[in-house]
Formats: sequence, structure tokens, C-alpha cells
Amino acid sequence: MTRTLTVAEMTLRETARRRGVLVMLLVLPLAFYLARRGDHLGQSIRFVCLGLSWALSTAALFVGSAARSLEPRLRLSGYRTHQLFLGRLVALWGLGVALSAPYFVLIRFDQHDVRYGAIAVIMLLGVLVAPLFGLAVSALLPRDLEGMLVLLTVVGLQMILDPAGNAARVLPFWYSREIGTYAIDHTSVGYLDRGLLHGAVTAVLLLIVVAVAFGIRLRRRPHVRMV
Amino acid sequence: MRYEIWLAALTDELRRHGVGPDLAGHVVAEAAAHLRDSGEPPLRAFGPPSAYAAAVADSIGGPAQRARGVVGPVRLRAVDITKGYGRRTVLSGVSLTVHAGQVAAIVGANGSGKSTFLRICAGLTGADGGQVELHGTVGYCPQAGGTADFLRADEHFALVGAGRGMPRGAAVRAGGRQASALDWTPGGEQARQLSGGTRQKLNLVLAGLGDPDILLLDEPYQGFDRGTYLDFWHEVWQWRDRGRAVVVVTHLLNQLDRVDVVLDLSAGGAGVAA
Amino acid sequence: MDQDRRAQWLRGVLDLCVLGLLARGDSYGYELAQSLQSAGLGVIQGGTLYPVLLRLQRSGLVTVYWREGGGGPARKYYQVSPAGRTVLAEASGQWSAFAGGVGAILQERTAP
Repeated sequence: MTRTLTVAEMTLRETARRRGVLVMLLVLPLAFYLARRGDHLGQSIRFVCLGLSWALSTAALFVGSAARSLEPRLRLSGYRTHQLFLGRLVALWGLGVALSAPYFVLIRFDQHDVRYGAIAVIMLLGVLVAPLFGLAVSALLPRDLEGMLVLLTVVGLQMILDPAGNAARVLPFWYSREIGTYAIDHTSVGYLDRGLLHGAVTAVLLLIVVAVAFGIRLRRRPHVRMV
Repeated sequence: MRYEIWLAALTDELRRHGVGPDLAGHVVAEAAAHLRDSGEPPLRAFGPPSAYAAAVADSIGGPAQRARGVVGPVRLRAVDITKGYGRRTVLSGVSLTVHAGQVAAIVGANGSGKSTFLRICAGLTGADGGQVELHGTVGYCPQAGGTADFLRADEHFALVGAGRGMPRGAAVRAGGRQASALDWTPGGEQARQLSGGTRQKLNLVLAGLGDPDILLLDEPYQGFDRGTYLDFWHEVWQWRDRGRAVVVVTHLLNQLDRVDVVLDLSAGGAGVAA
Repeated sequence: MDQDRRAQWLRGVLDLCVLGLLARGDSYGYELAQSLQSAGLGVIQGGTLYPVLLRLQRSGLVTVYWREGGGGPARKYYQVSPAGRTVLAEASGQWSAFAGGVGAILQERTAP
């Protein structure tokens, strides 16, 4: 537990010193929100949720790549693999909550006639899924630039694809639009259920991807015997 | 150069060259007396402190040789390591055994597979054939990297120390002690703000943090000035005297007469350590 | 005198000269340097002399003791040991023979 928390603490300290990452985390969702505020009801909510997810995924991507050079040494020093990625995730989840809370308050007072509970659900799922997605991408793609391209593509597709179609369900943040429809357009509760299921399944799948990718990269090699 | 400065520098240099503290004190006192009697400037009478210290160290035949054969149990045993990339064989049938209280040097030309072999021993790279036995905890220092850009030195110590089960205060203090042996006092700078040589000092201290039984060092002295380079080898001998097994990849030969085992990989990637 | 050749010659005989001077009486570093200079060997720097003294001490040809200086800090005094005297006696004979041979060669004019 201590080890996981130490990793989490150091991740937060690192991130707090990366001014570029902080600026992006703070400004990007706000920009998304304000850009759509004049539109019809609820568009800004949809966009701010997407913006939050994108910003958190990007932060997770950078955290993952920066940690790479240190991980072999940490492994040798006695960390288990799961402590390494869980520590980073705990830090990112904490960061996500701290980042989303003000936006929830903003929506609470700025937007009316929407289901606030459901919006809270979207944000919580976002906090859960976005870091998993970013960390998974960084674990699979060694270089930041390629990871960023993947994130951009996913977010772009998220905005373009029709959420009712089947293709859109493959995207990691599809639940956001589905529950958003429930919250903003006051549709049936089925939308909420489908969204929750999608979010939960996505989270579990991404966690497996992260665990497996980290596990392979930092595995104990078969030719070494510790006595 | 004024007397006191020169004499202080001489004290430092004698320590670096492995002259024991008692003898060093006598040497400095005698030099001081000579300078007082003759009235000559130190640089003319004795030359630069490092040169005089080297001459003194030479005259006394270096630190007393430990009785060879007083070694401990096997800490690292690599047998028949083979590694190839595509069709190129980098290592074929390389073996190395290092006991506690021994220093092994891995030498060879560039590209002869020294770093690869060390990484295989650390378990960071896979081997195509062969076996490695590690008896104890391992510390590894790569040629570069191994540090986090945005963390401070004491945060590095805390992080790596936690892995070894050290409480934070103890880890930070231990790191500070090892750093001062390399003539460095860590401040509040982040790793990315340190100079190349200082960052490598951090790298080396992290490798030795928590006192691992086996130290695997891959030419860790990149960017060290001459004084720090000598301090580094001083640390290596200290680790040896404290019963650690140390493996150093190096292509600089002048310290080889004091290591216990030499593995030469330049002969086409096959080698058995003497 | 050519400094390089002088340095080479000194490397060969400085330890014997120091032993020879110490055989006449105990002495300390600076005093030895003065004596060597007045004997005609030129200026011997501390950086050259003290390592030689250390080597002699290491091989047991001299012993050391510290004597309180009058009004100053203690000085390190060197004393030739019995082994040192033996070495000195042998070397004196060998040097005479050797120097004689060298001298004879150098004095020879080209044969007519």
C-alpha cells in the first residue's frame, strides 16, 4: 500500500511541475465549454465532458511516457508491477476528481433543466475511464507523438460519429453521449443503463490492457533466477 | 596559490588517491613545514596538489592489498549467455561469476555487447540462451536515463527507497550521504535542471540506495570530472570492502589492476571471466 | 645542464644520495634539500624529494620520528636504518665502478 501511494504521490508532484500539462488540463475543458455555450441547450455540457476526458487522457499519456525510463529501476528496487500502474492511476483519478468538481459546480449553476445526477455520473465515469485510456495508449505506443495522434483520432471520431450507430459504441467515451442524451433531452432511463454498462465494460477492458501491457514490459525474464 | 588553499586541496587529493588518513596527515604536515622553511610558493615546490598526491600514492604502493581469497558467497552467476539480434550474434556463451566482496570489470570495444550483457544480468533484457542466478538484491545504473525529469533528488531517494522498504527520512538521509561521497550536495533542483554529470551522480546514488548486495554499473561516469571519477572508484572499493559484489562495465583500463575479475568481450562476443 | 638528462640521472641516484646524507646524521626534508643543493646536485623540489623519502621509509631503509621544533610545529626526522647502511655500503662500491666506467668512456678522445 505504501509503495502504491508513494508512486501516486510522486506522480502528482511531477505533474504539478509540468506547466504545459497543467495549463492544458485547466484551459482545454473550459474552452470546450465556452465554445458551445451559445448553442442550444446542453451542447456545452456534452463538449465539456468530452474535453475533460480528452485532457485527462492526455495527462495520463504524458505521465505514462515520462515514467518509462524509471520503471526498470523501480522494478529492481522492489516494486511489483501492479503497484507501479495502480499508483499512477490513483494519482490520475484524484487529479480527475479535483478537475471535474469545479465544472460540475459550474454546470449546476449555469445550466438549467438538466438531470444533474446523470451528469455527475458522466463525470465520474470520465474520471475513471480517461486515465485508463491514456495510460493504455502510452503502454502500447512508446512515443508520445503517436499516442497523441491516437487520442486526437478518438476524440475526433467521438464528435463526428452518430452515437446511435454501432460503430460509435467501440469508442471509449461513447457512454458520455448516451448518458448525456438522458440527462439533457430527458429520454428514457434505458439510455442511462446502456451508458453505465458501456462505461463499466470499457473501464474493465482498459484496465486489463494496462495490466497486461505493463506486465509484459516489466516481466521477470525467464533466464533469471532470484535466490 | 596560497598555502592554506593548496594544503587543503592536497588533503582532498590524498583521500581521493586512497592514502589513509594518518599518513595523509603526516604528508600534509611535512609539506607545510617544508613550505614554511623554504618560503617557496607551493606550486613551485610541489606542483599541483593532484600531481603530488598521485606521486605520494605511487610511492606507498597504493592502499594495502586485501588478502585475495577472502571472498564471500556467490552473488552473481551467469552461465553461457547467448544473445543475438536478427542474424547478428552479440554474445555467445559468455559466463561470469562474482562473489561478495569482489569487483568485476567488463571490458571490450564499442558494440561488443557489454551493456547488453549487463542488462541481461539485471534481468532487464531477455537472453536467447543461458542462465543467470542472482543471490540478493540488485542495484543497476545505466549509462544514461533512469531518472525522472520533474522530480527533485530527495524525491527520487524517497521513491526508490520505498521500493526497498526504507522509511522516507532514512532513504533521504542515505541518499544524501552517498551523494556527498561523490562530492555533491543535492538541493531543491529538479533532475532536468541538473548538469549532465550531476544527473549521473544521482543515477549512481539511486543504484546504491538501500545497500543492494549486487551492483551492476554500466559506465556510470559519463560527464564526471577527474576528481569525481576517482571518487566513483573510491566508492567501488568501499562497496567491495563492505562485502558487496560490484560489476562495472568500462572501457577505461587504468583501474584494472585493482579489480578481482575481468571479463573481456572484445574477442567476438565469447568470453569466460578469469 | 640539460634538465631532462639531469632528471634521468637523479632518478637513478637520488635515493642513494639521500641515504648517504642521512648516514652522516639524522635530518628532515628541507634540510636534506639544502644539503643536496650545496653538494652540487642542483635544486631538488619538495615534490621530488618527499616521495623518495616515502619509498625509503616503505622499504625499511630509513626510520622516522617526529621532533618538536623550537617555537614551531613538529618536524618529521629521518634516520638511516641498519638495512639502509647495508644498501648504502653496497651501492657505494657499485657506483664507483659504474661511474668510473662511464668516466673512462666519456674522457676517451676519438682514436687517431
